[in-house]
Amino acid sequence: MATSNNGSLAVELRNVDKAFYGVKANDNVTFELARGEVHALLGENGAGKSTLCSILAGLYRPDAGEMRFEGEPVTFKSPKDALAAGVGMVYQHFRLVSNLTVAENLALGHPDMGIRIDQKKLSRAATELGDKYGLPVDPTARIWQLSVGEQQRVEILKLLYRNAKILILDEPTAVLTPQEGQALFKTMRQMAGEGRSVIFVSHKLDEVKQVSDRVTVLRNGKTVGGVATEDAEPKDLARMMVGRDLELPTRDASGEPGRVVLGIHDLHVKSDRGLPAVQGISIDVHGGEVVGIAGVSGNGQRELAQGIVGLRPTDKGTVEIDGEDVTSASVLDRIQKGCAYVPQSRLGMGLAPGLTTEENLALKAFRRPPYSRGRALVASAFKDEGARQIEQYDIRGVRPGLPIRLLSGGNLQKALLAREVELEPKVMLLRSPTRGLDVGATEVVRNLVLSERDRGTGVLLISEDLDELMALSDRLLVIYEGEIVGEMPTEEASAERLGLLMAGQRDGSET
Amino acid sequence: MTTRRFIVEPRGLASNRLKLLVPLGSIFAALVVSGIFLLLTGENPFAVYGQMVDASFGSSRSVAETLISATPLILTGVAAAIAFKMQVWNIGGEGQFLMGAVFAAGVAIWLGDGTPAAIILPAVILAGGVGGAFWASVSAVPRVYLGTNEIITTLMLNFIAINFVNFLIFGSNSPWRDPEASAFPSGRPIPESARLAEFFQRLDVGIFIAILLTIVAWYLMSKTRWGFAVRIVGDSTTTARYAGIGVSRKILGVFLLSGAYAGFAGGLFVSGPVGALDPRSLILGLGFTGIIVAALARLNLIAVIPVAILLGALNNSGPALQSIGVPTATVTMLQGAILLFAVAGEFFIANRIRRPDKVDDLAADAGVTA
Repeated sequence: MATSNNGSLAVELRNVDKAFYGVKANDNVTFELARGEVHALLGENGAGKSTLCSILAGLYRPDAGEMRFEGEPVTFKSPKDALAAGVGMVYQHFRLVSNLTVAENLALGHPDMGIRIDQKKLSRAATELGDKYGLPVDPTARIWQLSVGEQQRVEILKLLYRNAKILILDEPTAVLTPQEGQALFKTMRQMAGEGRSVIFVSHKLDEVKQVSDRVTVLRNGKTVGGVATEDAEPKDLARMMVGRDLELPTRDASGEPGRVVLGIHDLHVKSDRGLPAVQGISIDVHGGEVVGIAGVSGNGQRELAQGIVGLRPTDKGTVEIDGEDVTSASVLDRIQKGCAYVPQSRLGMGLAPGLTTEENLALKAFRRPPYSRGRALVASAFKDEGARQIEQYDIRGVRPGLPIRLLSGGNLQKALLAREVELEPKVMLLRSPTRGLDVGATEVVRNLVLSERDRGTGVLLISEDLDELMALSDRLLVIYEGEIVGEMPTEEASAERLGLLMAGQRDGSET
Repeated sequence: MTTRRFIVEPRGLASNRLKLLVPLGSIFAALVVSGIFLLLTGENPFAVYGQMVDASFGSSRSVAETLISATPLILTGVAAAIAFKMQVWNIGGEGQFLMGAVFAAGVAIWLGDGTPAAIILPAVILAGGVGGAFWASVSAVPRVYLGTNEIITTLMLNFIAINFVNFLIFGSNSPWRDPEASAFPSGRPIPESARLAEFFQRLDVGIFIAILLTIVAWYLMSKTRWGFAVRIVGDSTTTARYAGIGVSRKILGVFLLSGAYAGFAGGLFVSGPVGALDPRSLILGLGFTGIIVAALARLNLIAVIPVAILLGALNNSGPALQSIGVPTATVTMLQGAILLFAVAGEFFIANRIRRPDKVDDLAADAGVTA
C-alpha cells in the first residue's frame, strides 16, 4: 500500500468551520489528502464527515478556514467549480435522472456537451471506462431499470468520465451486498493506483482497515487524528471515534421461544406500480425470539412490512397477530392488538416532524389514559409522560416547543423506539433500526431490541445490514424478489453465504 | 480568506417574544414605507395616520364601527387558519361566507315574524354554519375521495356564490328579495326577533359570539383528542396513517369546520348589522380578507382576534381619508404593505443573522497567515 507523501498533497483543509442551526458541524477541522491514496474518513453519525465532504465538493461554503487544492488556495462557489477543478462526489442519495439512460446521465452537466449529444460515443466511453475499472453497466439502460449497486457504478463512471482527480464516496457500501462491496474496493484501489485520490466515508472499521491507506477520524465536528491504516488497530480507531471503549451488544443464546405471536401465511402483496412484490411468504415469529430477514433493498421488504401492519392491502394469504386473523383489520386495530412498527423512514413515517418530542411520544397512545380523558387531552400527562420517557430512554437535545425534526438521527430513533416499546407490544416489526446511527446510538437501539425480546415480544427484523442481523437474530431468513430463498439459525450463517442468497443464488446446502 | 462578514443560518426555535416582535416590526416598517410614499405625494403622513386612528378609534361611534367590521373578519380568519394549519388550502371563505348568509336569511324569513328570539336566533346562526359547511363540502368531498385540487374548486365556487346571491336579489323574485323595494331591488328584511341586540352604538352582541366561537375552535384544535389527531394529519399524512388515524375523515372534518366558520360569519353579519340578504352590504370581500387575517396571525387562532380588529379599523378609516383629500386607495396600499412586510418578516423568524464569533475570526486569521 502506498504511504502518504507530503510533497504531493492533492487537497488541504486548514481550520475549517461550518455551523448549522448554531451547532458546529465542522469545528476547526484540518484534513490532508495525498495524491494516489485511499483516505478513509471515519466517525460517528453527526461527527461532521458529510459536512466535510460537502465542503470539498463545493456544496457548502465554509464559515471560516482555508482550502488548498494542489497547493493553491481555492474557493468553490458551487459543485460546478469543484468538478471543474477535478473534485467529484458520490452522495448517499444518488443524483441521477431516472428516466434517462446511463449514457445520457454521463452527458448531464458535462462542460464539453453541445446541443446534440452523441449517444454512440457516450455509450462507447461508458463501456470502455466500465471495463477498465470493473464497473460493468449497460450504457443504454435507463436508470430506473438498474439496481442500487449499478446506479452507484453510474455515479462513479460519471466522475471518471469527467476525469475527476479526487473522488469522494459517502458511505458507498451501505447499499451494497458484501460481494459488491469487495468489487468496489478493487475499483477504489485501481483508481488510487493511477494517482487519483479517493475519500472513503464509512463508520465500519473492518472496511476502513481493508481498503484505506490512511484514516482521519472525526468526533463532534473536530479532527481527532490522522493515522496510517497499517498502524491502527480497529480497537484504537473505535476509541478515537467514540471517545471511550465500547462493546456492541449481541444476543446471548436463545431462550425458550413462546407461542406464535405473528403468523404470516402465503402472503402476496403488490408494489406501488401494481407488480407482485411479495410472492407467497410464510413466516412464524414466536414470542421471545428475533427473526431476521436479510436482503438487498427493493426485494419486497417494504411491501412485506406494510402488508403486515396494514398500511398496504394484501392480495392473498393471511396475517395473524397473537392467534387472531387481522388480514383485513385496520392499522389502528393492529396497533391495539399489540403490533409495534419501527419503519425505515423516521421523519417520513415514524414521527411527525413538526410536532414536539412529547407529542411524538404520544402519537399512538394519545387515545387513552393518561393522555386523554374522554375526548379531552390531558396536557399534564403529555408533559409528565414525556419527561419520564425522555429521561428513561436518554433522548437528548429536547427543548420545550422544539420540533422533533431538529433532533439528531440517534435521538429520533430512541424516541421512536421508546414510543413503540411503551406500547408493550406482542409483535415488533423493525426495518433497519440502526441504519445511519452512530456507534453509541446503535448500542442503545440494539439493547432495546434485545430487552424487548427478553420481555417476550416476537421481533421481526428486516434489514440490509448483515452485522446487525447476525448480532440480533436467533434465526435468519433471506428475501429475494419477494420470496424467502433461504433460512438458517444465526450460528450457521456467514456473510458469504447470506451475500450469495441475497444476490439471488439459491442455497445449495440444506437449511 | 473565506471568512465571511455575516452568517445567515436557520434558527432552530424562535422565541415567543420574537414571534410577537417581528409582526409588530412589520407593521411599523409598512407604516414607514407608506409614510415615505405619502410624503412624496405631498401629504403629511402623521396627519394621515392621525386621521386614520381618529376615524377608527377616535370616538365611541368609530370604535363600534371598527368592531362591527372586525366581527366577520374574526370568523373568516379562523376559517382560513384552521384549514391552512391542516394544509387544506380553502380559499373559498368568500363563497362560504355568502352561502352562510343565504342560509341564515332563508331560515329567518321562513320561520317568519312572531317566532321567539330564543328559537329563531340560534336557528339563524346555526343555518349560517350549515350553509358554509355545505358550500365547503362541494369542494371537500371530491378533494378527499378523488384528490381534486381544492385551491381551484374553492376559488371558483366563490364566484358561483357571488353570482347566486346577485341572482336571488337582482335576477329573480326569490323569497330573499324584498317585494316592497320600489326603486332598486334589495334583500327582504329578516324578522326583528332574528336580529342581534345592539348594546353599544350600532355594535351588536355578534362580536361576543365571534370571540366565543374562536375560543371554541382553539379548544377543539389544541385541547381535544380530535384536534391532536388533526395536527398529526396536518404535519404528515403518512405519519398519521402509520399511527392509525383515519386521514380522509379528518381532512373532511376540518374542511367542513372551516366552511362552517366562514358561514357563521355570514349568519352573524345578516342577523347583526345588515338585517337582510343584501348584496351591496355583503359582497365586500370579507372572506378573502379572512385569508390575510389568518396569514398575519401566523395561523394562531387567538391572534386572529387582534389582527381582525386591526384590519377592521383599516377598512373603516378609508372613507374618512377622502374627507381630507387623500385617496381611499391609501388604505389598500397600507394593507398590501403590511402583508408584504409580514411575509418578509417570516424570514427573520425562521433565520438569524450573526457575525462570525470572535474566536472563529482569530482562528481564520491564523489559518490564513499560517
